[in-house]
Amino acid sequence: MRRFLRLPRRSSSRLRADLDEELRFYFDMRARELVESGMAEPDARREAVREFGDLEYTKRYCLAEDAMSTRDDRHTDLLAELRQDVAHSWRTLRRSPAFAAVALITLALGIGANTAIFSVVNGLLLRDLPYRDADGVVRIWGAYANTKRDRGQLSPADFLDLRDGQRSFSTIGAFAFGGGTYLGEGDPVRLAGLRVDANVFSALGVSAAIGRTFVAGEDSTAVAPTLVILSHGVWRRVFGGDSSIVGKSISLSGRMRTVIGVLPPAFFFPTAGEAEVFTPLDLTPILRDANRTRKYHFLGAVGRLRPGVSVEQGRTELVSIARRLERDYPESNAGITANALGVRDAVVGDTRPALLVLLGASLLVLLIACANVAGMLLSRAVSRRQELAVRSALGAGRARLVRQMLTESLVLASAGGLIGMGLAVWGTRALVASADTMLPAASQVAVDGTVLATVVLVTLVCGVVFGLVPSLAASRGMHTALKDASRGSSGGVGRHRLRTALVTGQLALAAMLLVGAGLLVRSLSRLQQNDLGYTIDAVLTFELSLAGERYATPEGQDRFYDELTGRLAALPGVVAVGASGNLPMRGGASASFAIEGKPHVGDKLPEVGYQPVSDDWFKAMGVPLTRGRAFGPSDALGAPGVVILSESAARQFWPGGDPVGARVRLGPNPDIPWLTVVGVVGDVRMGVAGDPRPTAYVSARQDHWGGMAFVVRTSGDPMALLPAVRREVRAIDRTLPVSDGRSMRDVQAMQLTDRRLPMQLMTAFALLALVLAAVGVYGVMAHSVAARTREIGVRVALGAQPGNVFGMVVRQALLAAVAGLTIGLAGAAALGKVLTTLLYGVTPTDVATFAGVAALLVAVVLIACLVPARRAVRIDPLQALRSD
Amino acid sequence: MTKPPIDLLQGTVDVLILRTLAWEPMHGYAVSRFIRQRTDGVLTIESAALYQALHRLERKKWIQAEWGLSENNRRAKYYSLTTEGRKQLRAEAATWKTYAEAVFKVLEPV
Repeated sequence: MRRFLRLPRRSSSRLRADLDEELRFYFDMRARELVESGMAEPDARREAVREFGDLEYTKRYCLAEDAMSTRDDRHTDLLAELRQDVAHSWRTLRRSPAFAAVALITLALGIGANTAIFSVVNGLLLRDLPYRDADGVVRIWGAYANTKRDRGQLSPADFLDLRDGQRSFSTIGAFAFGGGTYLGEGDPVRLAGLRVDANVFSALGVSAAIGRTFVAGEDSTAVAPTLVILSHGVWRRVFGGDSSIVGKSISLSGRMRTVIGVLPPAFFFPTAGEAEVFTPLDLTPILRDANRTRKYHFLGAVGRLRPGVSVEQGRTELVSIARRLERDYPESNAGITANALGVRDAVVGDTRPALLVLLGASLLVLLIACANVAGMLLSRAVSRRQELAVRSALGAGRARLVRQMLTESLVLASAGGLIGMGLAVWGTRALVASADTMLPAASQVAVDGTVLATVVLVTLVCGVVFGLVPSLAASRGMHTALKDASRGSSGGVGRHRLRTALVTGQLALAAMLLVGAGLLVRSLSRLQQNDLGYTIDAVLTFELSLAGERYATPEGQDRFYDELTGRLAALPGVVAVGASGNLPMRGGASASFAIEGKPHVGDKLPEVGYQPVSDDWFKAMGVPLTRGRAFGPSDALGAPGVVILSESAARQFWPGGDPVGARVRLGPNPDIPWLTVVGVVGDVRMGVAGDPRPTAYVSARQDHWGGMAFVVRTSGDPMALLPAVRREVRAIDRTLPVSDGRSMRDVQAMQLTDRRLPMQLMTAFALLALVLAAVGVYGVMAHSVAARTREIGVRVALGAQPGNVFGMVVRQALLAAVAGLTIGLAGAAALGKVLTTLLYGVTPTDVATFAGVAALLVAVVLIACLVPARRAVRIDPLQALRSD
Repeated sequence: MTKPPIDLLQGTVDVLILRTLAWEPMHGYAVSRFIRQRTDGVLTIESAALYQALHRLERKKWIQAEWGLSENNRRAKYYSLTTEGRKQLRAEAATWKTYAEAVFKVLEPV
């Protein structure tokens, strides 16, 4: 018995015909059997029909059954086709491993970069904050017109007036810097923290995970010094997750405090930096001193809006109260108003533009990657025209072929997405690790369900986008493909134009990314070249905070600092040792400035930077003394008050004159004694991006801050000195922790992190884009030369010189490059504005950057078309004309 | 033919067809003839019921149909057992055996 093909899907008329044929066969066979047993032919036929049974019913029954199976088959056929397509795609990809590898790497990089950036955006911009009804939580600041700071701190009296005068918020709480040194069984540990009033946690809508938070009245003088709340992190890390911690006493900065609660794991305070311990904030002692209540700005505030009140309404009300305070207390409040922002905006803050720019950049990279793969598929489609034509001739419809090619690109995209996913998990971790200072609440960033869903979507969209165009292009004109199998056929012209358009688009996108990266690189190098006013090489910095009975008096502090300075200076390799209230790299304090015999103009005294420094600080920092003298041991408490001014302060207040010998007063209190100017030193820049600020330095022997930031200048590797420093500190007092031990270079690097990271990522994206675009250019040129082999052969045969042929190929590539550059640079100029907040010292339309990008891109395009151009030159006209 | 043919229930027809096709692929006429000869004419399936069963079993994907050439070189629709059909046959045969044995246990002492 021979078999035919499996029955194909059948129409209803076909089903009926099949059934009739099947039954006719039966009747014929049965009748013949009856004839053989002796019946006459007509009788036999009648008998066969008679004994069959209900023929009409059987026919209807069978047809209904067949119709049902046909319907079922259609579904299973689709599934089978899909399975067949996937298997076929897999085989095809394995047959061309080079193509598969390049496509997969391209896609994995594009999808991976997007996922990593998106998971950060998701964690920071989109995810829930750890506060109940976070939309109602608002951060409140003082806004300072003269320094253009709109996120400044509040004075206690202003805070109370704002809090009690408004109606928009149900609760407003204040907080100030705090923390302390925890002394347990091991080495002392410095814990970052905040002092908070009893309203802060209820304004945030946060309850403790264990125990409770502060209740009303616990921020009063009576109980304030005795309580503490721990963050979940410090509870795990320092206290070993002790579940019976609530009620126990711990020693914090020499004072015993009872732990009343542990906060939830996801909680973080909506400020920059970490807060590990929370102690009560008691404003009463400060409010007693009338001179300080409105002039000492050290409070942060959080509020909870009443239902139905918007952030903007709350802000407007606070500003109007602040305006009234400005009028009522012009001497202290002139130029100070209020500001408020929803907590999400406050937390994300300056990171938002950087993140959105990076997200945009990664999307551009993905677009380029898709364009690349689409281009590669287009080229492949050409070499597969015959295969497709054969399949078409065998009965595969156009839809079926498009579906098959789409399946292929989806298989490709899925594999790429899978690898990209792996890259993203790794990349997100690396990103969070290198960006902890830049990303608030970095702990929330992870690849989660939302991110996964997004990746799957992005992958599918990619697969469709880069698969649809080539497959439609390939399936068109398929019927002619079998007839003209020659390579030089003209069928590829439209397709080639499509590929050139893709490459032009890629070059344009790459140009935009390169401009963005170039601008960020130039910003960072401007920042790094900034003259800080001091030398940062071979300097170790660390911080010490004095706590305990020994340091209750200024003399006790002096004794400690003198002994430590002496011990450190005696260490081998140490050149100079100094200490100041703040590291200038991290910013600093300020004070109002009055000159004896020179009444100031206007309501308000001018402000200068304020810094207590040790005797050798200028020497250790490398800040030059230009006039007068530095501080010495004789400038002690009780000796005449002295001050050293920075050059810009000297210039500003004594234009053309010499301040040495003049007397000035720092701070608002008219009762404090005048200080004599004894010297002038070089300018020091505050922070890394700030301007040199007119500054007044006082002797640390005359203003004791308790904590000091040390700088140790060495002749070798500063970090190698750190263990010796710890040893010396411990030798004097084993309860004092040395915190933030870093080289000055590292401090600078940390300050630049939030600028460096976007720069590095942008540069990585731009280089990726450049490489992908170069691959695209190479691909299209190689393909073009291959397709024009015969034409080039004819030209050579007709006398074209190698130079002409070479030029022809290069000209074609350059044309695409120029078109891409024009579009890309125009786009970059138009989009440059989004970068403004990330730039420093360059404009978004920096000519040098644009010119550099243009040169780079043209150079890369030339290199990419070098190999195809050489191949074109080597074409042998005889062979080219003879081939196919 | 000493005894009259027994009328068969639908489920019985199905299992007989499955068993028959387990031998080799056959067209409908061959199936009907095979069952008749095998049971010495005791079991006769009315052809209408047979063809209904064949199409029903095909829909259930227990058997599949292919056009082939018959002994006398005519186009004929051949049915063969699918993997699923083989599974079904095994299950139904076991049920039948249990059923028959139970019935016998009651009838035996006669």
